[in-house]
Amino acid sequence: MYSKVLNSFVDKKEDFIKEINENQGLIFKIASVYTNCVEDRNDLIQEITYQLWKSFDTFSGKSSLNTWIYRVAMNVAIYQLKRAKKKVPVVPLEEAFLNFHVPDNTGMEENWQELKRHIDKLNLLDKGIVILYLENKSHEEIAGIIGISTSNVATKFSRIKEKLKQQILKK
Amino acid sequence: MDLDELKKTWNEMSTQLPVNQDVNFKKFDKMSKKKLRSKLNKIIIPEIAGSLVCVGSAAFIGFNFYRLDSPAFQIVGIITVILLVILAVISLLSIKQLYQGGDLNKSYSDTLKTFATQKLKFCRLQKLNLMLSYLLLVTVLLLSTRLFGRNEITDSKYFWIFSISIGYIFLVFFSKWVAQKYNGTIRQTEALLNELSN
Repeated sequence: MYSKVLNSFVDKKEDFIKEINENQGLIFKIASVYTNCVEDRNDLIQEITYQLWKSFDTFSGKSSLNTWIYRVAMNVAIYQLKRAKKKVPVVPLEEAFLNFHVPDNTGMEENWQELKRHIDKLNLLDKGIVILYLENKSHEEIAGIIGISTSNVATKFSRIKEKLKQQILKK
Repeated sequence: MDLDELKKTWNEMSTQLPVNQDVNFKKFDKMSKKKLRSKLNKIIIPEIAGSLVCVGSAAFIGFNFYRLDSPAFQIVGIITVILLVILAVISLLSIKQLYQGGDLNKSYSDTLKTFATQKLKFCRLQKLNLMLSYLLLVTVLLLSTRLFGRNEITDSKYFWIFSISIGYIFLVFFSKWVAQKYNGTIRQTEALLNELSN
């Protein structure tokens, strides 16, 4: 009996690690979009991973595991926003990217900062929709994660596109 | 940079990550809890300390109520005690709101609705808090003349003319600052809630 429980726990751990490894890019990007300094970003990555582990058992299978991970990660990001106290960032995000990028990739770093500037100007609902669009999600999948109708996603998305175009043109 | 370039940059970010980082469950569990607790403590301890100061001050006024020798000062004393209690309650309500978690399996829009509603409540509480603090400043100033004894300064009419006019100027700037600080956030949050309910 004990070994059965232990085995299932080990299996669960292995499954979880596999999922985290497959989705770490997504978690990293979501955490980067919702925070403004490296300390907050790393805290958010940790909190998302922790909450995913805590809720792993509650995954009902109604949606795909990937959809569930998006939902939990984005919800955790919102809850973390509530707790984030306004403070002067110790390490700005730009600097932090040096930890992740190869030295000759400064162009990409600039592009990422520009992308973040555009996304930061959107409200939290639009931000969520854009993240999922950038993740190549279909309107149906976006609707499932965000919790609005597919037609509403289409309407909102055309407005967001227009907003982003205006922002890019202004620059 | 156009939309396609934004998408390209987004996708390229995944390739810049260290691969297959280990998940150290024991350490990670402890660290998460400890980190969150220490972060929350930075907010909670000053809030609780503030509430204790309010309650302590209210008790101090209560014990020294006999020193308030006229009905006018007694009314000011009662108002001050009420203000101090309200301020302590507001502080504790803010902490409670901070601790409130939520169902992570809910949809993003539902989480946003909860978040926006709580943010609105928080901003309104803070606005009320700041305005009441100003009022408290005035009542405490009045009470101090009785609680800490009368002296040459507080018996002088110039002291009152000077403090009331300075206080009024301060109130004008202070109200503008409070409005500036919270009205923008309240407007944005209301717009978000509006969009979510459409």
